[in-house]
Amino acid sequence: MLKKAITIFAMSLFPLSAYAVDVPIEGTVQSRCVITTDTPGVYGNPNAYTLTTTPADGGVKPIVRFDVTLADAYYAQITTPTSFDTSPSLGDTVTWTGSTSVSAVSDATNMADYETNKVTFGQTTQYDLTATGSTWFTSSSTATYGGSKAFPGGTYTATVEAVCIAQ
Amino acid sequence: MLRNLLLTVLAVCLPSYSYSESITPYFGTTGNAASVGNTWSMDNVLPTPPGLDINGVFYKYTPQKETEADMKVHIGNENANGVGYLWRETDDWSGAQGGIEIRKVIGIANVPRELWGDGSIEVEGEGTVEDATVIYSYKVDPCYDPQFSPSCPGYQLQLPDTETVDIDLYDATADDAVIIATAETDDDIYEDEEELEQDEESEEEKEMRLEKALAAVDELALFNDAFAQNLLLDALNNAIQMNAYYAAQLRGGEYKETVVLVDKELPENKKGLRNGLAQQILHEEMISMQYNK
Repeated sequence: MLKKAITIFAMSLFPLSAYAVDVPIEGTVQSRCVITTDTPGVYGNPNAYTLTTTPADGGVKPIVRFDVTLADAYYAQITTPTSFDTSPSLGDTVTWTGSTSVSAVSDATNMADYETNKVTFGQTTQYDLTATGSTWFTSSSTATYGGSKAFPGGTYTATVEAVCIAQ
Repeated sequence: MLRNLLLTVLAVCLPSYSYSESITPYFGTTGNAASVGNTWSMDNVLPTPPGLDINGVFYKYTPQKETEADMKVHIGNENANGVGYLWRETDDWSGAQGGIEIRKVIGIANVPRELWGDGSIEVEGEGTVEDATVIYSYKVDPCYDPQFSPSCPGYQLQLPDTETVDIDLYDATADDAVIIATAETDDDIYEDEEELEQDEESEEEKEMRLEKALAAVDELALFNDAFAQNLLLDALNNAIQMNAYYAAQLRGGEYKETVVLVDKELPENKKGLRNGLAQQILHEEMISMQYNK
């Protein structure tokens, strides 16, 4: 028993002539869905307790563009704000409303039904990008301070989130 | 310092007349061709420089229609040199919701402006087009006309046009007088005239020699008279000039000694005496050397 143990130990000391090499593989995937901010939004302040992107109230609606080079491969998900990114300290609740719609397309034949086929859940709107080309989505956002109280003075910022989701 | 400052300010204020014409192709875009309606002439849209090629079209519009209605919108430009269109895009809005703007960019491979006919937006079916915008992008090659700049390939130096003036050139060989003068003369007449001329020349030579001889005699007589007169005048002048020397008198008198020596005896020059003695000794040594003393 001892003899075997010694033999095994001796064999383990011999150098191993065979060896292994790891060959790397790299690849780059170009995104076929590019999201670009076309127009930044601006909140108007028609009264003390409302901030809105409605142009009639002094606001500017944000516009985002989706450029797709692969048809039937992506969903466009756009979510209007549900909170301020920056604001003065707020002691009351803020009520948020928002919506998104197709404002322009680059292919009438294949994109004209995007608006008809959109799906909305909560503040999020989802579009099935079935054609290649560019689509412009316009969002609107309104924030109302609780109990019709006046918003404290200061700077308010919020964000519309646009996501391209692979199908 | 102030002068330099003023010169510097003056140099800065002077306009510079040196400039360089750029021959690099440049790009641009037109205004909205559809601003005046759904048809337009390219002459009213494109700028004037020659060498303009259109390389793209951007258009947008908003269709207004009922969702169920069939509607197609055709946008394009006719081919000015033939039948058909240079480009034509059709947007089929049939069954689609109206009110959604369409924006498109059409790439075109640098088609010269000469080929561009009228442009139009045509609606087929039920519906209208609102807020249409059609903008062309173009490239201009300044050297399309090589004469635009000396830097352009193929430029040729242009000489100014000069007025052609008809000048009657005088041809001496055609002059009547020259023709008569150069006409061949009858040989017989030429020989008689030559003999006559020789006789006349011999008589003239005799007269000339006689005249020269008489003139020499006259000149000699005149020269002798003048020479005699000059001698007489010189003698008179010499007599007048010498009389003045004969009458001149030198101022005489006695020049007395004015320098008086005060010392009664001169002292010996001891320095010179010593030097003379040394020379004497040296001399004697040299003499003695001759005799090996």
